[in-house]
Amino acid sequence: MKIRKYFLFLLAVLFSTCAKTPEIDNAAMLDGDQIFDLSLTHPEDYLISAKYPNPNEIQKNTPVIIAAHGYSASTFEWDELREFADRQGTFFVSQVLLGGHWKTYADFKKAAWQDWQLPIVNEYNKLSELGYKKIYVIGSSTGCPLIINMVKSGIFHQGVKPKGIFLIDPIVISSNKTLTLVSALGPVLGFTTTELSDGEKGHWYVYRPYQSLSQLMQLIDLTRKDLEKDITLPEGTFMKTYKSTVDDSADPVSAVLIYKGMATSGGAKTEVEMVSSKLHVFTRLKGRDGVTQADRDLQSRVFAEIEGRVTK
Amino acid sequence: MKKMIFLFAFFVFTAYVSAQFTKNYKLSAGIVSQKTQKLYWENGVGADYTSDFLLQKRIHLKAAFVTSRLGSAMGSNAIKQETFVVGADWRFRPTRPFQIFTGLNTGFFKANYEDPMFDMLPNSSVLAQFEGGVAYHFNWPVSLFASFGYNFLSGNGKQGPGTLFPVFYQLKAYYTIK
Repeated sequence: MKIRKYFLFLLAVLFSTCAKTPEIDNAAMLDGDQIFDLSLTHPEDYLISAKYPNPNEIQKNTPVIIAAHGYSASTFEWDELREFADRQGTFFVSQVLLGGHWKTYADFKKAAWQDWQLPIVNEYNKLSELGYKKIYVIGSSTGCPLIINMVKSGIFHQGVKPKGIFLIDPIVISSNKTLTLVSALGPVLGFTTTELSDGEKGHWYVYRPYQSLSQLMQLIDLTRKDLEKDITLPEGTFMKTYKSTVDDSADPVSAVLIYKGMATSGGAKTEVEMVSSKLHVFTRLKGRDGVTQADRDLQSRVFAEIEGRVTK
Repeated sequence: MKKMIFLFAFFVFTAYVSAQFTKNYKLSAGIVSQKTQKLYWENGVGADYTSDFLLQKRIHLKAAFVTSRLGSAMGSNAIKQETFVVGADWRFRPTRPFQIFTGLNTGFFKANYEDPMFDMLPNSSVLAQFEGGVAYHFNWPVSLFASFGYNFLSGNGKQGPGTLFPVFYQLKAYYTIK
């Protein structure tokens, strides 16, 4: 009888934790129903397909980089590259908002990783159909396994083959190894909370529902397994991976797996550069606390290198 | 003189312990198969030793070596890595065919990233593990073990090898040598 009571108590605790939903400050959080990514209301400021839906020959021949952000982030993560591109005037950046990363916590909770990927595929297909000839793709963090999956699935063979792919701090192995237990711990915890700096508030989800973390785990686990076999880039496409040597989100060993698992169409290894940084997605400095001159120098150097590669 | 007395005492103690260890002992060895949660299959060999001296065979001393080279990394791009552990288990129901055990292990983990470009990344670690599971001893000299383990030290992106994950499962099939 006593045991039964304890069992019922345990079940009650479990159910009460499962039902847990975060307290969302609608006025301040991306998780709420008032703050949206601006690309939803002003797509022409973010997506090149919306900005130049009828491109002229010059625009068609201008390199355009489709930029995919990371898990629980927003287009904000690539603002600095777009601003750099605007200043240089030599290439375009098309900032894609990942699926499910819009509107509310509820949207985020129910989206599968395939939903996250869809806007990248859509923008690539649109640019391809509109006649853009020099398409590149760049991903940060979770944007990277989504792009690797597009390579693996042959999506880039459908239209204009991308000339190059850049991966910034790709995640294939999470630094937080508790993520591997998300299917067991998730239903009990309900969600996790992320600490954001003042400059990051409103641009990242504060709360990460376990359903969504579970999708992240599925995506990176699939990517790891795909990389264990060989993934070959489309003909004429190069790939360069930049990886911080210290990273509390995407384990640096992710770069090893990409180096071992990806090859050009000619069978050569793809380029990897291990960069001396402790920042996850070192190309995004806006909104961060404690940015150093070395961080700024690294960002400038990599942006210049990206420009050099796409305008060559 | 003090040194001599100490050495003599140490010799007598060692002789006594080894005599006790080898008195009515049981030694088994065989194959180990390990699956890390959300990572690789790693296979290898292991051994298990106990004797009456070890609290009437309640304590078992063990050692195991597993490698992904005999698992996920065979013919694939998975990272080649090795794990060597030694440990001690406490056996519940030590005289019955079906036993439950729990124990602690320590040892060493090493991964091979193959390219010098990755030399700055941590690729080895001391291990500290909890392990618990069940064992079944057949009438013939074979035992099967199934266990769950937890690595207290794992990689976190700042320190520790990135492919050292916390949770693993093991299956062991041992032949009783004596």
